[in-house]
Amino acid sequence: MPEVDFTVEVCGMAGDGTIAAGGLINEAMSLGGFSVLGFDSYPAEIRGFGRCVTNSRIGSNEIVALGEHAHALISLNDEQSRSRAPFLSEHSLVFFDSNPPTYVQEEKSLLSVAPPGVIIFGIPFSDLAVSAAGSSRGRNLTALGGFAAVTGIEPDFFREVIKNKFKSKGDRVVDINLKSFDAGYEYAMGKFADRLLQLFPKSEDRAGHDKVVLSGNQAIGMAAIDAGLKLYFGYPITPATPIMEYLAKYLPEHGGRVVQMEDEISSIGAVIGSFYAGVRAMTATSGPGFALMTELITHGVMAEIPAVIIDAQRAGPSTGLPTKTEQSDLQAAVFGGPGDSARIVIAPTNVEECYYFTLKSFQLAEKYQTPVIVLTDFFLDNRVENRPLPKTTGEQVACWNIFPGESSKGRYQRYDDTPSGISPRSFPGMEGFNFTATGLEHTEKGTPDYSPENHSKMTEKRHRKIRSALNDLEKPVEFFPNDQLDVGVIGWGSTFGSVLEAVEKSRKNGFKVGALKITSIFPYHSEIIKAFMAKSKFVLIPELNYEGQLANLIAHLDLKPVERLNFVTGAPIPPSAIQNRVEELLEVRAQ
Amino acid sequence: MKIPARVLADQLKQIKDSGRFSPRSGALPTWCPGCGYFGIHQGLNECIASLGLPLHEIVTVSGIGCAGRYPFFTNNYGLHTVHGRTLPAATGVKLANPKLTVFAVGGDGDGLAIGGGHLPHIARRNIDVNYLLFDNSIYGLTKGQPSPTSPIGSKTKASPYGTTDRPLNATLMALTYGASFVARLFAGDPKGITEALLEGVRNPGFSIFHIHTSCVTFDKAFKTWTNLKKWTHPLPEDYDPTDIRRAFDEVLRDDFSLGVIYKREY
Repeated sequence: MPEVDFTVEVCGMAGDGTIAAGGLINEAMSLGGFSVLGFDSYPAEIRGFGRCVTNSRIGSNEIVALGEHAHALISLNDEQSRSRAPFLSEHSLVFFDSNPPTYVQEEKSLLSVAPPGVIIFGIPFSDLAVSAAGSSRGRNLTALGGFAAVTGIEPDFFREVIKNKFKSKGDRVVDINLKSFDAGYEYAMGKFADRLLQLFPKSEDRAGHDKVVLSGNQAIGMAAIDAGLKLYFGYPITPATPIMEYLAKYLPEHGGRVVQMEDEISSIGAVIGSFYAGVRAMTATSGPGFALMTELITHGVMAEIPAVIIDAQRAGPSTGLPTKTEQSDLQAAVFGGPGDSARIVIAPTNVEECYYFTLKSFQLAEKYQTPVIVLTDFFLDNRVENRPLPKTTGEQVACWNIFPGESSKGRYQRYDDTPSGISPRSFPGMEGFNFTATGLEHTEKGTPDYSPENHSKMTEKRHRKIRSALNDLEKPVEFFPNDQLDVGVIGWGSTFGSVLEAVEKSRKNGFKVGALKITSIFPYHSEIIKAFMAKSKFVLIPELNYEGQLANLIAHLDLKPVERLNFVTGAPIPPSAIQNRVEELLEVRAQ
Repeated sequence: MKIPARVLADQLKQIKDSGRFSPRSGALPTWCPGCGYFGIHQGLNECIASLGLPLHEIVTVSGIGCAGRYPFFTNNYGLHTVHGRTLPAATGVKLANPKLTVFAVGGDGDGLAIGGGHLPHIARRNIDVNYLLFDNSIYGLTKGQPSPTSPIGSKTKASPYGTTDRPLNATLMALTYGASFVARLFAGDPKGITEALLEGVRNPGFSIFHIHTSCVTFDKAFKTWTNLKKWTHPLPEDYDPTDIRRAFDEVLRDDFSLGVIYKREY
């Protein structure tokens, strides 16, 4: 059976139902047993005349990166779809409304710029929707019907997801949407009977029913609830807001509460207050909000109070490009704020890791009594993947607090300088262990003390504690391990998927290439990274930032300079760009 | 008059051993002799002692400033945060464990300048935190700069030609923000502070205690003990603290009448 690797885009104006159509494709193909990775782009302005585009990559094997070329384009607005022409190629399928509600002059429409060789399917989306359901609003569903018919997708997959999506709105709405879909399907089956394709072979062993389509943000929200989150404090900011909205909806039924605070400073302040009182709390923000939080994050470092902070990065600096992706907060996350304030920074690379890393962040924060920052980015937060529904064990959500023993009553020292640096921690309500947590330098007892000996000792203690966290932090994972590599590519965050795909393709081209995934950003496993760098003739670190922020952090581990590949386009790095760079490095060397 | 630290420590030990002021910690307050904060400390300690609450179920949250050091001078749990963030941290503590009795303490700089954005929101959320605002109209810890409650014309090292900005009125702000319990007090009257606190702690929402106090070291002109004693006086006899219109009238008319200005009836 041929392997499926198919990318379909839907493009329209805000209000065309573009995002909804893309979402249905993801759900339907997941149900069909395929691996799906979807990503939408839409304007920052709510009521603008913005263009919406969804990109769904569908595969029989695991999909780790976004599709670079569209094998099919469903155009709900031919003027907006002109922008998609560069992503089409010969044999791409183009579905368009042959009688659209608003007429687009031919010279301004997609068809005038589409590359030669595209296969065009004109379907009267609007007319069919009107005659089937009485309203042209279902024209996006009609378009999906046409797409399913021509490409050979089992229509029941779509019918089922349409029912699921609209069932909360009542039977009538479900019926209207089903009729619109069927109208498009029937029309295409008849009209293009001689051109029907079978691109998505049915397979019995691909059971999609145990998979759910989740965005990174949803996975984070789910994980927080599963971790026993009781309080979420936040302030709206793209792209982190969906986490707050998810929790606002589902946290109350789990006995928790979402409080929308007056700013990001108060959000982290309340998180620290809550963890100080022994209750799991969280906040999520993006770069501008994270910047405001840094002072209190270092308070958490100094007073040794846990906190969980999601930094959903977006393109900056300042307000930057609120709806575009970037990995440019790494240095702020690791170093941001006053003083020597070592804290834990971790970065998931896909939706599944968004879940498991968020889950773990609560344990890390508790055990190491420090703020833990989970770095995601717009692409990771908003993309959807279909994954098996995450399951947690008791061990994964267990409390990692370390309490003082009864025997220490009367001589309790909150900041006891232990070999690991971790001091047993009490909460208000625990009798006999009263103390004052402070952002001032303090003695082991917690009394303010500015003496040189004490500051040296306690700074060392706090750093020792963070170093010891390496024992519980995810080790870097090597893909395609080898004793010797021509190019070793190191990736982190949402970029790692592109790294993996590029390395896989380069290997198929006969190059000796490997990949290292780093998810523990700080502290990091320097020995493992060092060994990987040492055995690679070239070390390449692709990142979505200008200078290479991970490269800056780890480049010193090896004597040879690391090769950097930096994209600041606001879009994810295409795997082909990494592959080209890898092969370029080796060709230059061969000459 | 300068009392040697050793003598003070001995006196403190005697007081501690007597058990009369059990909320008071063994740490010697860092405030200057004659500071108004001693009166507030005494008032709050008396309140805690007469409430009879176990000390491990009480949390004092503070920010930065002379008042920020307060938690170190008590025996209950303390959370000394960063400048201006007293109220958000107190919100987190109280929501995390509603069984705790939470006192937030801070000065006029901490609460009305850098942290001024938090006051309206804790008031509208009506979080059950008891906020003691130590208002001495000066930045003491940084050695004498004008604060948001300094009167126009205040001369300090940072305003050698006099300030030009109008002062804020914390009591009026609290009323405007809808705080459910508002009291105005004087550090020279610890008994009055204790009485108001005992009433305010029972309010199941946000209670603010705006306390006029004196900085003996950096303010020789405005809120001196002499002036405060002269200016402060009780609320009118027929005053009704449940009448919000009356409260606004009173606060607009008089900056120094003391007592429970407003309490919401539930």
